[in-house]
Amino acid sequence: MAPSLTSTLGDTGKRPVLNAGNISASAMMAPALILVGVFILIPAAVAVIGSFFDFGMTSATWTFVGGANYRRAVTDPLFWLAISNNIFIVIGSVVSQVGGGAILAAILDRGIRRGSVVYRTIIFMPVVISSIAVAFVWMLILDPNVGPLNAIVKTLGLSPPRLGWLGDPAISLWMLLLIAAWQNVGFQMMLILAGLQAIPKEHYEAASLDGARGLKAFWYITLPGIRNVLVLATLITVIGGFKVFDLVFVTTGGGPANATQVLGTYTYTQAFSFGNMGYANAMAVVLLVTAALLGWLQVRLSRRA
Amino acid sequence: MSHLEVRDVVKRYGQLTVLSGVSFAAEKGEFVVMVGPSGCGKSTLLRSIAGLEEIAEGSVSIAGRNITQAEPSDRGVAMVFQNYALYPHMTVAQNMGFALKVARRPKSEINAAVTRAAEILRITEHLAKYPKALSGGQKQRVAIGRAITRAPEVFLFDEPLSNLDAALRSQMRIELSRLHRELGATMLYVTHDQTEAMTMADRIIVMNGGNIEQIGSPLELYNRPATRFVAGFIGSPRMNFISAYVIETVGRSVSFSFGLELPPLKLEFAPGETLPAVGDAVILGIRPEALGDSGEVHLADAEVTVVEALGRETLVYSDAHALRTTDSESLDGYFAQLVPSQSDKKLGQHVSLWADRSAFVVFAADGTTLHDASPAHAHYK
Amino acid sequence: MTLRARSVAIGLHAFVSLWTLFVLVPVFVMVISAFKSQAELFTRPLALPRQFSFAAFERAWGIGISGFLVNSLLVTALSVLFIVIASSLAAYVLARSDKPVMRWVYVAIVAGFAVPLQSVMVPLYQLVSSAGLLNSRLAIALPYAAYGIPFTTMLFYTFFLEFPRELEEAARLDGCGRIEVFFRIVLPLSGPVIASAAIFQAVFNWNEFILALLMLTKTDVRTLPVGIYGLTGQYSADWPALMAGLAIATVPLIVIFLLAQRHFVRSLAGLGK
Repeated sequence: MAPSLTSTLGDTGKRPVLNAGNISASAMMAPALILVGVFILIPAAVAVIGSFFDFGMTSATWTFVGGANYRRAVTDPLFWLAISNNIFIVIGSVVSQVGGGAILAAILDRGIRRGSVVYRTIIFMPVVISSIAVAFVWMLILDPNVGPLNAIVKTLGLSPPRLGWLGDPAISLWMLLLIAAWQNVGFQMMLILAGLQAIPKEHYEAASLDGARGLKAFWYITLPGIRNVLVLATLITVIGGFKVFDLVFVTTGGGPANATQVLGTYTYTQAFSFGNMGYANAMAVVLLVTAALLGWLQVRLSRRA
Repeated sequence: MSHLEVRDVVKRYGQLTVLSGVSFAAEKGEFVVMVGPSGCGKSTLLRSIAGLEEIAEGSVSIAGRNITQAEPSDRGVAMVFQNYALYPHMTVAQNMGFALKVARRPKSEINAAVTRAAEILRITEHLAKYPKALSGGQKQRVAIGRAITRAPEVFLFDEPLSNLDAALRSQMRIELSRLHRELGATMLYVTHDQTEAMTMADRIIVMNGGNIEQIGSPLELYNRPATRFVAGFIGSPRMNFISAYVIETVGRSVSFSFGLELPPLKLEFAPGETLPAVGDAVILGIRPEALGDSGEVHLADAEVTVVEALGRETLVYSDAHALRTTDSESLDGYFAQLVPSQSDKKLGQHVSLWADRSAFVVFAADGTTLHDASPAHAHYK
Repeated sequence: MTLRARSVAIGLHAFVSLWTLFVLVPVFVMVISAFKSQAELFTRPLALPRQFSFAAFERAWGIGISGFLVNSLLVTALSVLFIVIASSLAAYVLARSDKPVMRWVYVAIVAGFAVPLQSVMVPLYQLVSSAGLLNSRLAIALPYAAYGIPFTTMLFYTFFLEFPRELEEAARLDGCGRIEVFFRIVLPLSGPVIASAAIFQAVFNWNEFILALLMLTKTDVRTLPVGIYGLTGQYSADWPALMAGLAIATVPLIVIFLLAQRHFVRSLAGLGK
């Protein structure tokens, strides 16, 4: 890849000194471009191509099947279940994480003077904990035999779900939402807090001279001021909701009875448990296109502002 | 051969031509100032000489060596930047010695050069400090010191004083002139401030729109501007410009009209000056310091609209309803007049604008000067 | 303060305090469970351990956590090094070049940001396995680096755009070549942004799971997340040992986070640009 870049960058040859400069420019560019190309862009292209073929994990032969993998997805109820679970997580996460993060940020920005740094630090802390650790700790908490949650619920005289918090198909997805919120609210809070703190104090002072205080100031100063950050926070959460994998994979593995199956886990299962690499690629492309569209939207919206 | 020679330099940014074939030369030891409005190409020209910009055509040579293709550091130039450009992670001494260090000179030589430059600039006690501990003026001295340690053939200055306050600026102007005398070095200095140009330069290059309008000593430019642009740019407050047209030429005397209600003005053209033809539209120029209460010619009656006391002098703007100045930069077509403060002009006062014939400059419609004023006109009327 | 304002303030404090408590409880459960015996974990799930026992830590250490820790340190250090070097070099060229081709290079690198790992796991697995690089701790640092580069390059890019060009021009006049300008002037003055990027990416790679799950299939080369995940199959009932392992994996990050919070927040703020 590097040599071709050099030749496109090469000058007219009029100035040897600057040509030397160009060679060092492409040499400086090369490591990043090669790594991104080899491990991200080329695999993405191969995933798109592979989605039109049928092949197994170890088989060297690819059979062209046209759009069969996509047709299979359209008629696969599990694919649609996974998609709808993703959408459930996306909507639930936007409400709980962006909403919760915004409320916490607003309180910490203006409502609370003392101790706000301590609160901020603790609430953000789960962001740095690996989702595997988060998953296991919550599995312990929600465990039907040894989990403290059951113990608490029982002492309150209530009965915990018979199949377990994560084992009951009716509530397992809600539990995943709760765990995701536990981990990510701090991230959204920090993002929105940074946006709030970037609003110059003079704007509030000018608004209060113009008679806008309280709710009016929030509506005319605060909200427009953090509009960009809110859009960004929402898009990050939406993309995260479509990409969710670690948490589901470790806690429920997509179960019980596919109740928490999402695109990521279903793709993994089709590829590495059943060896349906072509079909897995087709679903991967669905995820890829979704993420790319959302990413493009993010760039568009942030540029417009 | 001159010490610094710039020949037919052309610079383009995409479609935009910012230097269209610029040529000039500077002698060894000369202090040359390039002046012009922002966007005229003066900084680009300086940066092209430094090698920080690539030029499309033309050549640059220093001390007889063609350096058009050379790396910036191989050109024998040192540059002082507008924002000082001191390396924040190095001490003053390290900043000043960096070029010699990159060139792998021996430590003793670096120390000697730094010490000598610090002495010249009187910053020896700051050598161990970091730039952030220095004031603006001190930073500028360090930046100049960094140039001195390199002992360049040509010093380049890119608006070095524009970040300093007014008092410090005039002090540094004097110091730079002293430095120039002491070092005897060739200096090329860019500024948009005509006062800096007038006070420091041996010669001034006036630039406009990517071209050189005129090159000359400060007084040459003031007394014999080659174009209307130079006449307007050099001298403060600006020269007054009036539209007129030629109604009669008899021998070398030319009569101009400003309009039907006003008396015509007759000027004598010197031998060698180009005579305009009857009917030609021209621009007449007269400096604010040449307009007064008396003189050979009565230009118009006017009413004082703005009075700015400057101390010894007062700047008066007056509205001569029937006659307006034509200049995009003048105030509402008012006439500017520089008068001694004791003349005590009042707002709303009616005045007559008078001038001597020898004070008028005549420009053709394309801006070139047809007729010069006599240098003797530059006294208060 | 009026009564109403006071009660609003109390209500706000209460909300924030409750959430803070909710955040702390699982961390608390993890730590105290690691010091309990299995029997105590079952009988007194929320209480402090009667006596702090390191037995669970010893069991966790014995079944391989020590190795995972070394692997995680190695992989994280290596990948962060790659990321910082590759991204800073690339971002510098992108921020300084006016060649039209660089716009496309920038788009290509930033596009990598939009590609979810899950959507390329099949080709990536085949690429790595056909190259014979499965179970190599050095090799996994390369895709880790690749996935850190887009964000870090954007972060450095905005920093370099604001970097005073006159400093670089002064250095060129002082005799520095392009690469020398970068290493002697730009890099020494980029400390804060490098620290931010490095910490952000270190946390990310320390916690990474999917790639490690795919590429590190042998126990002895695994990093902490995937190593602990692999152990749960074998030792499913030993909650204290599991919690001890997680504590070993988690506590260093929490400490780093507490020490370097401002760098973290700076990196986050970079997202907003």
